[in-house]
Amino acid sequence: MARGRGNRGPVSVLWLALFAAVPGQADDDALTVLSWGGAYERAQQAALFSPYTAATGTRIEVAQYDGGLDGLRRAVAEGEVPWDLIDMTRSEAMAACAEGLLEPLSPRLLAPAPDGTPAEEDFLPDAFGRCAITHSIFATVVAYRRDAFPGTRPDSIEDLFDQQRFPGPRALQRTPAVNLEWALLAYRVPHEELYGLLSTRRGLDLALARLDELEEIHWWQAGDTPPRLLAEGEVVMASGYNGRFFDAMVNRGVPIEILWDGQVQEHETWAIPRGAPHPEAARDLLRFATTTERLADLSRHIPYGPARRSAAVRVTTHPDSGVDMRLHIPTHPLNAERALAKDEAWYARTLGRIQDYFRAWLAKREQE
Amino acid sequence: MDTLPLRPASGRGPLAVVRFLGLVLLGAILGAIAALAAVAFVSAVLALNDLLLISPRSRMMFDHPGLLLAATVAVPALGGLVVGLLHRAIPEGRPHAPADVIAAVQTRRGRLPPRAGGLSALSALVSLGAGASVGQYGPLVHLGATLGSLGARLLRLGRSDDNITIACGVAAAIATAFNAPLAGIVFAHEVVLRHYALRAFAPVAAAALVGYVIATNVLDRGALFHVADTAVPRPWEFVAFLAIGGLGALVAGAYMHTILGVTRLAGTLRLAPPLRPALAGALLGLTALWVPDILGMGQETLRFATIAGAFGSAELLLVLVLKVAATGLCLGMGFSGGVFSPALVIGTLFGALCGSLVGQLSGAPQETFVFYAVCGMVAVTSPVIGAPLTSLLIVFELTGSYALTTAALASVTLASPIAAQLFGRSLFDIQLEHRGLDLSAGRGRAVLRNTPVTEQLTEECVTLAPQTPVAEAVTALCRARHGEGYLVDDRGRYLGCVSLADLEAAREAATGPAQAGEVATLARPVLHPDTSLWDAMAELQDVTGEALPVVDPAADDAFRGVVFEASIARAYLAHSDELRREEHGTG
Repeated sequence: MARGRGNRGPVSVLWLALFAAVPGQADDDALTVLSWGGAYERAQQAALFSPYTAATGTRIEVAQYDGGLDGLRRAVAEGEVPWDLIDMTRSEAMAACAEGLLEPLSPRLLAPAPDGTPAEEDFLPDAFGRCAITHSIFATVVAYRRDAFPGTRPDSIEDLFDQQRFPGPRALQRTPAVNLEWALLAYRVPHEELYGLLSTRRGLDLALARLDELEEIHWWQAGDTPPRLLAEGEVVMASGYNGRFFDAMVNRGVPIEILWDGQVQEHETWAIPRGAPHPEAARDLLRFATTTERLADLSRHIPYGPARRSAAVRVTTHPDSGVDMRLHIPTHPLNAERALAKDEAWYARTLGRIQDYFRAWLAKREQE
Repeated sequence: MDTLPLRPASGRGPLAVVRFLGLVLLGAILGAIAALAAVAFVSAVLALNDLLLISPRSRMMFDHPGLLLAATVAVPALGGLVVGLLHRAIPEGRPHAPADVIAAVQTRRGRLPPRAGGLSALSALVSLGAGASVGQYGPLVHLGATLGSLGARLLRLGRSDDNITIACGVAAAIATAFNAPLAGIVFAHEVVLRHYALRAFAPVAAAALVGYVIATNVLDRGALFHVADTAVPRPWEFVAFLAIGGLGALVAGAYMHTILGVTRLAGTLRLAPPLRPALAGALLGLTALWVPDILGMGQETLRFATIAGAFGSAELLLVLVLKVAATGLCLGMGFSGGVFSPALVIGTLFGALCGSLVGQLSGAPQETFVFYAVCGMVAVTSPVIGAPLTSLLIVFELTGSYALTTAALASVTLASPIAAQLFGRSLFDIQLEHRGLDLSAGRGRAVLRNTPVTEQLTEECVTLAPQTPVAEAVTALCRARHGEGYLVDDRGRYLGCVSLADLEAAREAATGPAQAGEVATLARPVLHPDTSLWDAMAELQDVTGEALPVVDPAADDAFRGVVFEASIARAYLAHSDELRREEHGTG
């Protein structure tokens, strides 16, 4: 699935292919990390990679991708894996792990918290997969233009579908994920029943019917599109990644606000591909990058929630703007009150069929 | 002869307080055990549903369409077979259910057999896990009650306390399963105890509270219903809610009689009892291939029924009828499980059907759709379990919505009396009546009807052979200080009853009968060994005399002895007094 944070499109994939082939030959000691590019990579560079190089002298090359497992599959099959460490969404890590594309990882690898709390207790309870370790939580949220609805403001995810009170075009990601969840939430379905209901034809039809009620939808694919559409006034509400909206709000002064209700939280994980050139060094980097101090520092640069409790309480202000980052991370108690945990096991098994169903509906909608 | 068994006039004073507090503590402990058992049961059902491809989520995640079709038929069929085999190990050959709990408490027989209870819980687990269209609350209630009874037995408590511990288990199970402590307390009183006593209230409340605390900390479940805060029904809609209540009673009646009818039919089937649930499971699975909504407890169907537009009207009717048929088939053919969860689904579908019809007729927007669904739900469930207050409280505790509870109240106001008049107090009562236990006149009669009069049987009476000379008979009666003698022939058969006065008259009269057998016998009703105290009491109304003979028709009218009128009256008073003490005692 395309997961947009990098500067993306076919060009970057091509570039990735070129880039990926290079570093192994250029410098045998350098570690190669595959990550998402953009502001996210800049934050990782500042909070994780530069300090690591400073501490160990090991240089880190960063390759970029847009998610998806095709590249990894091909590399493992050909026995030419150019990356040591990959930043993956948890759903993709689970799928890759099931396909045997990743090395198993033990939580014992991780450093304890500064007060000595073992990592197993310090990390969020579902942070450890068989082959991947969650380091940050990001969220897909709805943002809206502050000036679009005089006298009122959306305060629940139902308002995304309320065209009477909040008229105007919307921008939504061109995927079934998140959209279906929100559409069903708009029927006031309790969170814990969501995926059970979406598992029935009736539930899918209900969700799509709610989406169909929206008069004008701009379908986005790249992560930088929704903030841009909002900034340009093309749409009044848009779904998107909370880091992107934060960037637009704080760094570029776009008059938007995030609606945290119904935020869909996803885990960003570290994983080591099978056949990585430097698996031991990669483990060392992984341990370094998930220490309390580094995770807290990462959340100062980009508003993703640290997966360690000890790190979450140490998050302070944005280094440039001085904004209090705690209010902008998805795991802050005020923001997380009605957060939705994406059922990644469900998506791992059903995505193909759900996507077919979604595409068929989309094709029909676009015909009409 | 014994005297009226009067215990010291009930407890007041420090010892009684300690004893009472002990009972409350026991209630809390039993509540915790029952609640944990309920949590384990519910979790096991969910896990089985996922494992056996019954839950929609697991079905969606299973990407082999052919195998899925096969599993849909095979799982309920094989589950039925397992259930059928399990039931062979229960003496009655059927699972124990809430009706057995009610019978145990209402007749004060008290004890629930732990082995049959455990087997019933296990077979219910298999039934629910394999997707049979049955409910989970009945098994939970019975499981809680069995644990409560077991606790009382281990501590060697008396009957009254046994009843209270049973009620504690029941209250905790409901409080845990619904996350609704008040509903648990009221259910235990309304359905199981059927009286309100302060002595029972405190332990039951403690049990329900503990169950609730455990539920909120362990079970993470969504509320059954959600209501838009702004929606308030218009005044005329309350008329519709009342009407839904009246019609819902009929739906409840149809549902109950489907279950009873299939049970009767299954008895006449030429098919070994263990195979009956297997057949039902296969039929259910085949139908589910066409309409999957009828499979299992129907959590998703229930949710969809509260959402306007999730079903079309024709679809609602179809699923409603099929769900009634599927539940009747499963329960009637011998699956183990409750009647409440399917009734919830059926009632909600019915309410949704009414809601969409009203919507179509009035053209009004469907903000209040969920009100109709809930009214239908209450109108069908409350007659089935005979618990209008519990149904209302469940709605209130689950939604926290006063408006919704008021609407449900309107609906239940008509549903309960109509169903009670047409069908009976509840499905449990109808089932018990079929088994010969009539609770319609309350507990007093049920207890007396279940106390055999032979408890008071005595052989302390004068029996006379028919050929005994009259003078000898008079002497025998005078020596024994009895006014009546019983004629018994040499084969031990009872022939009649003669009074001392008649014998005396015969002795005095010169031409009268010379043998006791020739003296005119008194018109005296006879009792049988299985005659109940209640019936004996009724016989007494027309008798003046000292005792009633007990004759065993099964043994060629053999004379067994007599029961003195005074003993019948004393036993009657003793039982009434015990009930009164239990129902009105404070500690």
